Amino acid sequence: MLCVAAGTILLVRFAPGFFADEREMDAKYAATARNEMQAAGTQTLSEIAVREVKGWVHGDFGESRQYEVPVTELIAPRIQVSAWLLLRGIFYGWLLALCAALPVSAVRKGGALWGLPFTLLLAMPTAALATACILAEMGGPVLVLALLIAAREFKFLRSALRGTWSSPHMLQGRAQGLPLQALIRVHILPGVAPQLYALATLSVVTALGALVPIEVIFNVPGVGQLAWAAVMNRDLPVLVAVSLLMAFAIGVAGMLSGQKQTLEAAA
Amino acid sequence: MRSYSAVRYLSVAVLIVLTTTVAMGQTVARRPGELVWAIPYDPKTFDPAKVDEAASEQVRYLTGGVLLRVNRQTQRAEPYLAESYTISADGKVVTFKLRNGLRFSDGSALTSVDVAWSLRRVLAPETQAPVAQEFLVPNAVTVATPDRLTVVVRLAKRVVGVDHVFDEIAIEPANRSSTGRVTAGPFVMAEYKRGQYVRLARNPNYWRHDGTGAQLPYASGIRLDIQNNHEQEIALFQRGEYDLIEGLSPEYFNVLAHKTPQSVRDLGASLNTEQLWFNEANAAPLPEFEKAWFQNRGFRVAVSQAIHRMDLVRIAYSGHATPAFTFISPANTVWHNRTLKYPHESVSEARQLLAAAGFHMSGAFLYDSGGHAVKFSIVTNAGNAARARMASLIQQDLSQIGIQVTIVTLDFPALIERLMHKQDYEACLLGLSNVEPDPNAMMNLWLSSSPNHQWNPSEKTPATAWEAEIDKQMTLQATSAVYRVRKQAVDRVQQIVADEQPFIYLVYPNALDAISQRLVGVSPAVLSPGLVWNVDSIRRKAQR
Amino acid sequence: MRRRVAAGILLALIVVSLLAVWTSKYGYAYQDREMAMVPATAQHWTGTDELGRDRTVRVAAALLIGLGGAAAAAAITTAIAAVVGLLAAFSPAPVAGVLMFVSDVFLSLPWLFLLMMARSLLPLTASPMQMAVITFLVLAALGWPACARAIYSGARTLRSAEWVIQGYASGLRTRQLVRLHIVPHLRPLLLPQFLICVPAFIVAEANLGALGLGIGEPVPSWGSMLMELDNSALLAQSHWVYLPIILLVVVLLLLESFTSEETHA
Repeated sequence: MLCVAAGTILLVRFAPGFFADEREMDAKYAATARNEMQAAGTQTLSEIAVREVKGWVHGDFGESRQYEVPVTELIAPRIQVSAWLLLRGIFYGWLLALCAALPVSAVRKGGALWGLPFTLLLAMPTAALATACILAEMGGPVLVLALLIAAREFKFLRSALRGTWSSPHMLQGRAQGLPLQALIRVHILPGVAPQLYALATLSVVTALGALVPIEVIFNVPGVGQLAWAAVMNRDLPVLVAVSLLMAFAIGVAGMLSGQKQTLEAAA
Repeated sequence: MRSYSAVRYLSVAVLIVLTTTVAMGQTVARRPGELVWAIPYDPKTFDPAKVDEAASEQVRYLTGGVLLRVNRQTQRAEPYLAESYTISADGKVVTFKLRNGLRFSDGSALTSVDVAWSLRRVLAPETQAPVAQEFLVPNAVTVATPDRLTVVVRLAKRVVGVDHVFDEIAIEPANRSSTGRVTAGPFVMAEYKRGQYVRLARNPNYWRHDGTGAQLPYASGIRLDIQNNHEQEIALFQRGEYDLIEGLSPEYFNVLAHKTPQSVRDLGASLNTEQLWFNEANAAPLPEFEKAWFQNRGFRVAVSQAIHRMDLVRIAYSGHATPAFTFISPANTVWHNRTLKYPHESVSEARQLLAAAGFHMSGAFLYDSGGHAVKFSIVTNAGNAARARMASLIQQDLSQIGIQVTIVTLDFPALIERLMHKQDYEACLLGLSNVEPDPNAMMNLWLSSSPNHQWNPSEKTPATAWEAEIDKQMTLQATSAVYRVRKQAVDRVQQIVADEQPFIYLVYPNALDAISQRLVGVSPAVLSPGLVWNVDSIRRKAQR
Repeated sequence: MRRRVAAGILLALIVVSLLAVWTSKYGYAYQDREMAMVPATAQHWTGTDELGRDRTVRVAAALLIGLGGAAAAAAITTAIAAVVGLLAAFSPAPVAGVLMFVSDVFLSLPWLFLLMMARSLLPLTASPMQMAVITFLVLAALGWPACARAIYSGARTLRSAEWVIQGYASGLRTRQLVRLHIVPHLRPLLLPQFLICVPAFIVAEANLGALGLGIGEPVPSWGSMLMELDNSALLAQSHWVYLPIILLVVVLLLLESFTSEETHA
């Protein structure tokens, strides 16, 4: 966590435009903007870092530079929105990918054709997909997120499942006339389970990455939207908090996939 | 058998995903009689004295009661909370006579005491009110209240167009600054959901009545959605969720014009300009020979002559712009110089000018006298499609005279840092927006000592004779009370700029708006806020 | 067989694109200003873009640049991910922990700012092609950590598989084992990763355009053409704006059948 925070502070502080304000070009507000910048410019890097760390000890993430309100107050209501969006998006994405990949991986011919919708989704930029939703007046952030994740997972799942159908125990199972459901439950899913767990982190990372454009385009008041505004305004305290959240989410996902594996190995 | 189950799996999944996600992306429901439109970002403050960006300014405009209001159509200050006002002959004493029986939204009386308190609060250095600077020496301004309806403001120095300044000072109840919750304007702050919307409610004690004696404002309230996705904004406008869009981009204007021609207005040239300029600062981290090009008048004029402004208008703005040659748009009828002589478009003349300035062609490329190929970059901001198209067109135009241009789009903070702090750029393509028609508002763009003097900021002494002359003329117009003298000075500055081309003006983008056909009483103007400047008289027809 | 057909079509596509770029009387930068945004005509087979540039030539050039750049970047990033993942899986636990920790930290940092810094270090007059190369290299350098963890997990399961243990027992060295057994078994992870990275990098290149990176005007960029699909104003004007995405889907399908058949062969 400290590494992430330190990295973020370094990156943001030395990025071009940290001491610039859009309003400086505006004849009317240029002087005000410059005064604010000068105040910010007197802080050294170590001062920023020390203040941030001191704040955390007291559960305080500082004050947002663009909104001039405490970061915790800004982020807290947004975390819930984004977490809910993420959870639903990932769940539906996996559901869709799994339901599509199971039968498609079994088809010998025309597999590419079945995969066509997913290839199209893969090729489509997130923004274009979201705009298509807005124009069609249907679907929303969850759908777009689910489709994005489904498109990526589908590729992995299909290639993971492809071998399984023709593996010896499957052939035997099929020869014995086991029902399809049972085959899937007993043979296929356990067979690819480790790979599925390994993909969990990947999935979370994909979803986190897609969160920003989706929230910005659909105007969802979540962390992604805030993060984008913070990037555009070089809002250091908010960015540090967002990076820490990211690290936390990725860490949890990584741990989950690690844990499952050890369980799997033990069993 | 298997393929059947495949279809079943897939269709069930698709169905689940679709049905659970359809309802997302809706806006908050509109209340009866409420006006709704979008603002691009969260207002930074609701304290009217501390407003320092456009979103807050719009909220202040809708809520704040001011002494004088600038009529956006006639561009003149009109009495508002003040029934009348006088300015003394030397321009240093402004006397306001308040209307009788004024009340704040909470019912308390509004008297000269409240006005004096609000003015003093804005003038006090600890408030750090941006508008205070417009009084030139704010701490020397005094406010007196001879009786409960009279306010006398004494200035230390004459301020040109001082009546317009009072359009930006909201009167609040004395000692009870309320961040817009108690106002004397048409609306009051009611609810703010960060990142979602600002809701304003009607002020029940607003002073104005219409011709029939009905209390204004007509609208029961206003909801400002925080929304900066244009696709979404257009879609919501078409669905009737939003009532107006101010400042459409040309491509979306065309989409709307195609679908509902009655809902869009092209008001012609706006006050804003799009311009290209070269970095002429001596301190710039550029090679000396490049600085020599940019400081060469012939080079700048040649570049200006090589640019096909009509193509910029026609292709980059699909016709919704006006070619520009000076910083004052023809929309600003009072100050635009109609007799301006400017270098006309001509590639052959541009070539001659370059040759006279010591440049020569070798093959398809231009070289300077030292044998350096003439190539430079144009920086511009990301996210403005029309501007990006202009850059590509200019790139092509300049290749006709052998100049190689690379285009670099940067995000705004990075761009500003290069322009204002490091002077690390060669040429810049950007637009400047003008909210105030009086050229006095552009002082800090033209004075050579100003940090906003973009092509060579914060000069200790004017680097050239013509910059000294601009300084002189601008100071003259800022201190003279006689319109004729001021107009002459401003015309002179426009001519110098046209001759020297420190800013190569390209186009005035047109003011493009969309107005719902349900709205009654909108009177679109070029001056901001162009659509809602008479917000108290705007009404939304009930749905049938 | 199918692999050969796919490779053939892909090659044909590239050759046609090359021909289109070389033989066209308009360069990709030529602006026919009287013919902006026209539909398909005898002169312009797939119409022109907003600035009157011939779409056929621009799409062809974009395909060559984008495919070359994105495929190379995707290959590099997948390779880095594989190396890091395998290294972590076959190292002692502390080393693996450190490697995975680094990749997690890597994922959480706002790299956008690094890209901005990179831009401010590069000269403004760098040519569009130089910028294209730099952009794709940067993408390759930043794209690996998410996949590295998946490969690490995958490789760890394999490490404890019976046939690997048997391989160890029969005296195979780790390096041989990785080459002979592990990498082929990780193919189901590596190939999709590669295929996903190609379109992702093509679009990312265009997104970086906002930071001054990416392929600069007037050189056509596949990503920028795809990004135009989020502009309803443009979609309304011509159906040919869908050409780039159709081509991308075709190319992806070809790449997929070109690579996936290998697993069965």
